[in-house]
Amino acid sequence: MPAYNTIAFHADRCDGCGKCMIACAQAKSASDSPRRARLEVLADDAGRFELTMCRQCADPECVQSCPAAALAKNAATGVIEWDHDKCIDCLLCTVGCSFAGIALDEAAGHVVKCDQCGGDPACVRACKPGALEYLTMARIYDEAGSLEDLFVQGLSACQGCNTELIMRHTLRRVGPDTVVAAPPGCVPGMGAVGYNGLTGTKVPVFHPLLTNTAPMLAGLKRVYKRKGRQVTALALAGDGGAADVGFQSLSGAAERGEEILFLVIDNEGYMNTGMQRSSCTPYGAWTTTTPVGRESHGKSQDAKNLPLLMVGHRCAYVATASTAFMADFYLKLDRALQASKTGFAYLHVYSPCTTGWRFPSKKNIEVARKAVESNFVLLWEYTPAAGLRLTRSVDDPVPLSEYLVALGKYRHLTPEQVAHLEQHIAENVAAIKRHALAEAAAPPASTRPGISSAGALQGPPASQA
Amino acid sequence: MEQTHYLIAGASHAALAAMHAIRLVDADGSLTVIGRDRELPYSPTLLPYVVSGRTDPQRAFLRDHEYFTRARAAYRCGHALVRIDPANRVAELDDGSRLRFDKLLLATGARPVIPPIPGLDAVPYHVLRTLEDALRLRAQLPQTRRAIVLGAGLVGMHAAENLSKGGARVTIVEQQQQVLPGYFDAQAARIIARAFERADVTIRTGARALAIEAAAGGVTLRLADGSAVSGDLLLISAGVTPVIDFLADTPIQCDRGVVVDATMQTSVERIWAAGDVAQAASFYGAHPVLNGILPNAVEQGRIAGMAMAGDRALEGFRGAVPLNTYSYYGQHAVSVGSGAAPPGAEVVESSDAESARYLKIILDEGRLHGIFAINTPIDPGVMWQMVRRRLDLSAVRDRFLAQPRTMGRLLMSSLLR
Amino acid sequence: MAAVAPLPSGRVLACDGNEAAALAVALARVDMVAVYPITPQSSLVEYLAKFIADGRLQAELVDAEGEHSVLSVLQGAALAGARTFTATSGPGLAFMFEPYLRTPGMRLPIVMSIVTRDTLTPQCVWGGHQDAMSVREAGWVQMYCETVQEVLDTTIIAYRVAEQRDVMLPVNVCHDGNYLSYGTARIELPEQDAVDTFLGAPDVNWHAALDPDRPMAVDPLTGGPAGAGPATFVRYRRGQCAGMHRALDAIRDAHREWARLTGRNHAPLIERYRMEDAECAIVTLGSMTGAAKDAVDEARAAGRRVGLVKVKTFRPFPATDVADALCKLRSFGVVDRSVDFAWNCGPLYREVVTALQGGTRTATSQSFIGGLAGADLTVEHFQRVIETVGQMREVAGPRDTVWLDAQE
Ligand SMILES: Cc1cc2nc3c(=O)[nH]c(=O)nc-3n(C[C@H](O)[C@H](O)[C@H](O)COP(=O)(O)OP(=O)(O)OC[C@H]3O[C@@H](n4cnc5c(N)ncnc54)[C@H](O)[C@@H]3O)c2cc1C
Repeated sequence: MPAYNTIAFHADRCDGCGKCMIACAQAKSASDSPRRARLEVLADDAGRFELTMCRQCADPECVQSCPAAALAKNAATGVIEWDHDKCIDCLLCTVGCSFAGIALDEAAGHVVKCDQCGGDPACVRACKPGALEYLTMARIYDEAGSLEDLFVQGLSACQGCNTELIMRHTLRRVGPDTVVAAPPGCVPGMGAVGYNGLTGTKVPVFHPLLTNTAPMLAGLKRVYKRKGRQVTALALAGDGGAADVGFQSLSGAAERGEEILFLVIDNEGYMNTGMQRSSCTPYGAWTTTTPVGRESHGKSQDAKNLPLLMVGHRCAYVATASTAFMADFYLKLDRALQASKTGFAYLHVYSPCTTGWRFPSKKNIEVARKAVESNFVLLWEYTPAAGLRLTRSVDDPVPLSEYLVALGKYRHLTPEQVAHLEQHIAENVAAIKRHALAEAAAPPASTRPGISSAGALQGPPASQA
Repeated sequence: MEQTHYLIAGASHAALAAMHAIRLVDADGSLTVIGRDRELPYSPTLLPYVVSGRTDPQRAFLRDHEYFTRARAAYRCGHALVRIDPANRVAELDDGSRLRFDKLLLATGARPVIPPIPGLDAVPYHVLRTLEDALRLRAQLPQTRRAIVLGAGLVGMHAAENLSKGGARVTIVEQQQQVLPGYFDAQAARIIARAFERADVTIRTGARALAIEAAAGGVTLRLADGSAVSGDLLLISAGVTPVIDFLADTPIQCDRGVVVDATMQTSVERIWAAGDVAQAASFYGAHPVLNGILPNAVEQGRIAGMAMAGDRALEGFRGAVPLNTYSYYGQHAVSVGSGAAPPGAEVVESSDAESARYLKIILDEGRLHGIFAINTPIDPGVMWQMVRRRLDLSAVRDRFLAQPRTMGRLLMSSLLR
Repeated sequence: MAAVAPLPSGRVLACDGNEAAALAVALARVDMVAVYPITPQSSLVEYLAKFIADGRLQAELVDAEGEHSVLSVLQGAALAGARTFTATSGPGLAFMFEPYLRTPGMRLPIVMSIVTRDTLTPQCVWGGHQDAMSVREAGWVQMYCETVQEVLDTTIIAYRVAEQRDVMLPVNVCHDGNYLSYGTARIELPEQDAVDTFLGAPDVNWHAALDPDRPMAVDPLTGGPAGAGPATFVRYRRGQCAGMHRALDAIRDAHREWARLTGRNHAPLIERYRMEDAECAIVTLGSMTGAAKDAVDEARAAGRRVGLVKVKTFRPFPATDVADALCKLRSFGVVDRSVDFAWNCGPLYREVVTALQGGTRTATSQSFIGGLAGADLTVEHFQRVIETVGQMREVAGPRDTVWLDAQE
């Protein structure tokens, strides 16, 4: 089943101005009365807002309830279309809908429903606070869904593994003209590089040393470039190999601008070898080499900010991403891929580890989301021309406790340790904001020379809070 | 013998909802749909509009052949199920062919009840359940000057309006004291009846037919009060009854319809029933009920399909809720839930004869028991959810009573965000 | 392929060993050079960088951030089909050790010069064979050069050996830091055509490629406690040993062919110098051989039956040739420019003695260690060696190693 564009409602941004309804009534009923609108914003007694509008259901009950074949879901757009000519005004569709997404318009004398204005919804245009958002990521999902999964089935990752999700999505996107290098870690550990003469991928794959992923790919890529062949050199590395023992070679390749897409899957430690500390392990975290005992209470240093270090290399592209925000991840993957054709592209994906962080496997995406929502990790992107830009607002984070409480590795934290983490997060946010602000003060990126080489950034901008 | 994994008898709402649910889970299991009618699937609900000419039936089929092809299902139309052998899981059709099935759904709907009025079998009359019925009636329309509609249920009322609009003088004869009994109370029924009367339709409630005779160019209906009604066209719309003849001599338990459990399974394993044919739990009482309405057919069909395909997302049937949306002469009436207020229930009613507006809300222990509205906008789907989820409205009672639509929308939006 | 016309091919010129190696690399038309500076190798890669900058060598140059990456870059390049080169010394080789260990198992025909240097500690930047000797069991082919000309010729020959399909192994061409790296000599450059004929097109990744047109997993996990794994692993290991052994023939054949094309005859495995009717001999490795030959000439002039055996190919070890050359002698001495810590002797000495095991007669022998940390090994040193060896008569127990530069 394909994915479709959709109108999202961010209740927290809504101020109840009602302009969306007026815009809808004007566009659809040539009326200024909000009662003629096909959506309704309602305030509850606590002043919170709710939206009533057709959700363009995947398996629409209204369609099944129509005796006259007057409703049908358009397979191309996903919009549930209503045919005035066929409608017999029986209103049975309104019985089928639990959301009042289709309702009688008394003045018109028939049911009405949202049709997304053919792809340019008037309500969204009218919504200044951005509470209504037309999400057009469906194209990306559909494209990705139609791409071949280039890893074999049956990789032996832990149940609910986020890393497997990341690498499968990544390689689908990056495609078959790729050489994958996966240094020791969970990616080879689950069999991606193959085993005893068998391979784990459908593209060429290599299991480099923990220390030499970047230069090894650099040599390969240079040769293909010399031969005039378009081959993507893709690293799927862990945070340990990238931030610790492999950092020198990563830094060297980045500095030389080797045309590599270097993707780091950050699970905050050496999870494959049994959950040891890495320099990306956060302060306070339990690992098997920063155990909790009488004398120590988890890691006593803060995590190294590897992606920010990569910004210091002025890579062609640097971004952080999370599987809880797949649309954002896909956009960044596209941009990274594009940037890797002319320079070093670095993508840092936060990847909660159910096994090593001690939480139930079904919670993986939730944990990933909370990490972002609490500002424990920040989502941003950087190019030399456009600078650093937050791709998700860091204002109004959820309390850190909502994130920490989910994870066994923080179970032992004392209030002082939590305070330390909060302080560290605040500093991190401030540092990233400084980077972002410095850029905002500069002239608009598009007028600066060099932006054209960052052609990857010409796609639609990610949602900006 | 021909084999099919899923056999669905019937090709209307319950059948199609079941097929859809099966295919969401099992894309390949062989599936056969048999329909008694020769056409592609259509809805009986549509038929009054076919009679009036508003709807071209050729454009209103619920599915096309391509749908069945894409779903890898065989659609066999023009064949009725005449017998089943549950022990051997064999179904026999009216052409003598036999089919072995693993799982069978009975979705054969209902047929009109023909009341035992002396003389009825000797005169020509119409019913309205099939497309054939509708086309026959439509063909009769130009010659019709005076029509008698026996029974003021939904079918009768729809038909009466459309016959009247087609130019006939119509008399509705209803045994009970009001039109649309079961869906609306007397007061609401009066508001609806007034719209008919204003359009010159005669409504005779509390009128019991004693006998029927042929008369010059038509029939005469003799009523218990001694009066008579004559017309050149007689439509029998005195209710429906499940189509279950083919279940005679089977162990499948039937009462007024096929008795089913919460997953729509009959008393015999691997055989399910859904829609107008089924008698399932009531939302309001212990005794299983028939609930011959379209939303009920869709819901039960989906549940049966999920059960047949082993869909683990299946939740059992929560009980039949009477529901109706009724549009007549450009006006709109909605009924959701039961109008029989239990003892201690709060009943809030308001009406305005002038604007023909009416609203009645029954709250039982802070929960919505039933809501009935004429020319007053409410969202029936939202109300249905509130009833069946037994949403506690105590905290928002006042606002709900004042603005049922707004409150309903707020509650459902926040619940299903 | 476009000719590298501006290179002075087919000419005579004077240059040092580092430049000679660089010229050989250019003549071999490598596709990829990765470099990192380290004494005494630095000028070698500087020459290459300059050749590339001037367009005289059309190769990809990667200025890596360390030797570890240098060799890693070459691995990636080789897996993409490139003919590759780098050079290193001492600590650089030590830093490179992780990918160095892995290269032979992947059967990548990478050629690397080791411009030999003594290893730390004591901190030292001068010549000695300790670096190359420290990695002698890693599985690379190792050949030691005596002269600047031999550096040039051997570097070209190395590609032919490395890329021979029944060998497919990386090759170290070792030349002595200081003495050959900076010592200038007259050399003859071969014609480019001759080199092209000799080497043919690069044939590097037919067996293991990272190429989307030929997708495969290169070097997946192999082994495990049971199942097919261990047997697969053994197959690879034995294959590697067999390839190493076949390199002896490959080296011999390549030298023969090179001699046919250029007229220059270098002994491929060992060189026997004035060994006819010799009773005693000196065994040498690398640039010390020149001084040793002078000493032998003098001794011969004085009527002593002394000869010399130079070991050129140290890995694989030409045991049969060595045994054959030495087994009939009364006594011999082996001069090493490095030490074998385990046996308190020179590593070449131990190899030579091992090669003679099982023979019918065993010559009396003595290990000499000299020329460490850049010290010169002079004719006088070798006169002392000849003196000592000449006086050894009976077969006795192990003899204490003689340290030539000791200040006793
Ligand atoms: C005129 C009219 C107006 C209506 N208006 C409304 C309304 O406004 N709102 C509302 O909710 N409901 C209304 N209904 C009721 C609604 O149409 C039914 O509840 C609904 O169609 C039931 O669906 P079903 O699938 O159970 O049965 P049906 O729709 O009756 O379909 C039965 C199917 O079974 C097939 N079949 C029958 N016997 C056999 C056999 N022996 N072998 C094989 N196939 C067989 C038939 O061909 C048909 O395909 C109306 C009905 C009529 C007739």
